[in-house]
Amino acid sequence: MEPAIVARDVTKVYPGSRSGAPALDGLSLEVPAGGVYGLIGRNGAGKTTFIRIAATQLEATSGSLTVLGHSVRGEERAIRSRIACVPQESRPLYFLRTEEVVYLYLKMRGLPTDEARRRTNAALEELSLVEYRKRLVNRLSGGLRRRTLCAMVLASDADVMFLDEPTTGLDPIARREVWQAVRRASREQRTILLTTHYLDEAEALSGRLALVERGKRVLEGTAVELRGRVRYPYRVTIWGAVPREELDSYGKVSPIEGGFLVFASEEHARELARWALERNLRLSLGPVSLEDIFLEVVGRPIEEETPLADDTNGAEAEA
Amino acid sequence: MSERHRLRSLGTFVLLNGLIPIRTQPLYLVNLLASPLSFMFFLTVVSHGVLLRWGITGGLILTMLSAGTGLQSDLTHYRHDLKFQDIVVASPVEAPVYVLGMALSELVYSLPGLAVFVVLFVADGLASPLSLAVLTGVLLLVWGFATALAFTLATYFQDVRETFMFSPLISLVLTVLPPVYYPLAYLPGWAQVVARFSPTTYAAALVQGAVHLAPLSTASAALDWGVLGAVTAALFLVAAFKARWKEP
Repeated sequence: MEPAIVARDVTKVYPGSRSGAPALDGLSLEVPAGGVYGLIGRNGAGKTTFIRIAATQLEATSGSLTVLGHSVRGEERAIRSRIACVPQESRPLYFLRTEEVVYLYLKMRGLPTDEARRRTNAALEELSLVEYRKRLVNRLSGGLRRRTLCAMVLASDADVMFLDEPTTGLDPIARREVWQAVRRASREQRTILLTTHYLDEAEALSGRLALVERGKRVLEGTAVELRGRVRYPYRVTIWGAVPREELDSYGKVSPIEGGFLVFASEEHARELARWALERNLRLSLGPVSLEDIFLEVVGRPIEEETPLADDTNGAEAEA
Repeated sequence: MSERHRLRSLGTFVLLNGLIPIRTQPLYLVNLLASPLSFMFFLTVVSHGVLLRWGITGGLILTMLSAGTGLQSDLTHYRHDLKFQDIVVASPVEAPVYVLGMALSELVYSLPGLAVFVVLFVADGLASPLSLAVLTGVLLLVWGFATALAFTLATYFQDVRETFMFSPLISLVLTVLPPVYYPLAYLPGWAQVVARFSPTTYAAALVQGAVHLAPLSTASAALDWGVLGAVTAALFLVAAFKARWKEP
């Protein structure tokens, strides 16, 4: 099947950028049709810029990008008829009721009344918003507003949906409800391009993932493939008084409360586990998390912001 | 998008930005009435009633102009603070449908003002088939160019506060300085020349001529229609080619 999104060497330098530093620096990606594709990276890495270019909201400086086979440069109309987007930091119009946000969005897209009502009811049900349906959105919490926007876009049944940090500010239960709706949409062969700060969310939802750092793609693949591409795909935690020198030969060792965390290759992880069991040490062994991979590849935790080249354009600062 | 879909979208924007906000804040309905009525009241009192008719025709023009220019703050607010334009861009809705829908929604707020001034217009004996036809045409053109101008500006503003700065300036250039509320002859010669740079001067001259407040020859009327039509067309072209539906 043809990929839903194909980006080749996409570069974006914001007009007025004093340093001329690119927000996207030759980014190439292929997002398969159907399923969830996760774009992960630190704040300011270029995720939102990429989504905005793919959603035809922003011009790229150079490179090519097609969505459903149509170029974002010159064939926007063909793309727009088949996409929907929850932009980062978007908020519903505050004077609307929750159900109106979803219903009027569907009507705005040209759906007939009956269909819009049916889909609105289903979306409110799916995202547990029924009890708030008559409430004005300015009386909802930030999380509920965000959930309402997710309901709005997921109800559209667009072929490609862009969700830019859709679950920011949601409590764990609400996040899972959004996940469920996203999974439902992906099962129905919709393509969802998702950015998130929550690496557990990216891993739980995404078939494939791309890790973006300073406007470049640094790693891409399924979670299993990503683990296969790092030097240490396993993490072994050992509790007890162990001389650190004895662990150094197995991989990368970090001290933790009451023991050590060792990142190791599969072979070394197995050897280390055997070594620990022989000494009656308590241990846990498993594949590295996405967070571990991120830390290894980027060298910094995902929570740490990317320093901006300059602050001439607020759009470069992705919150 | 088919014509049927476009009509649904248009209706939705009128509902979304016109009728529904009034449910939560009915005072929106008198908002656009305040300025034109104040001008008319002030002029009538100061002129001992002589300029009442000028106040009525001026009020009609200002009401329609405000319905158009009022769009800039709404569109800027929606674009920046709510990211609503981004949501609309990434949908089948085309820019002209969005702008026309939002412009029609602003018209809802000006309906009470229009109603008041039309009643005064008729009650004062200014209505005739010709004057009503001229008035309708002029008001549509004024609304059209103001809408195109407002949309273009709204796509450039970086913050809604910039609209607070521009609105009084636009009002000054388009309604206070040009002879919308008083005869052109009241202005000194050089100011009459300057006033010719404002499209509302031509709009006012047409309406004032149609109700016999000021003399208007056929040649002048043709020129006024031509300028007003050309300005409206030019601002539509600017909106079509220069407004930032997609950000650079």
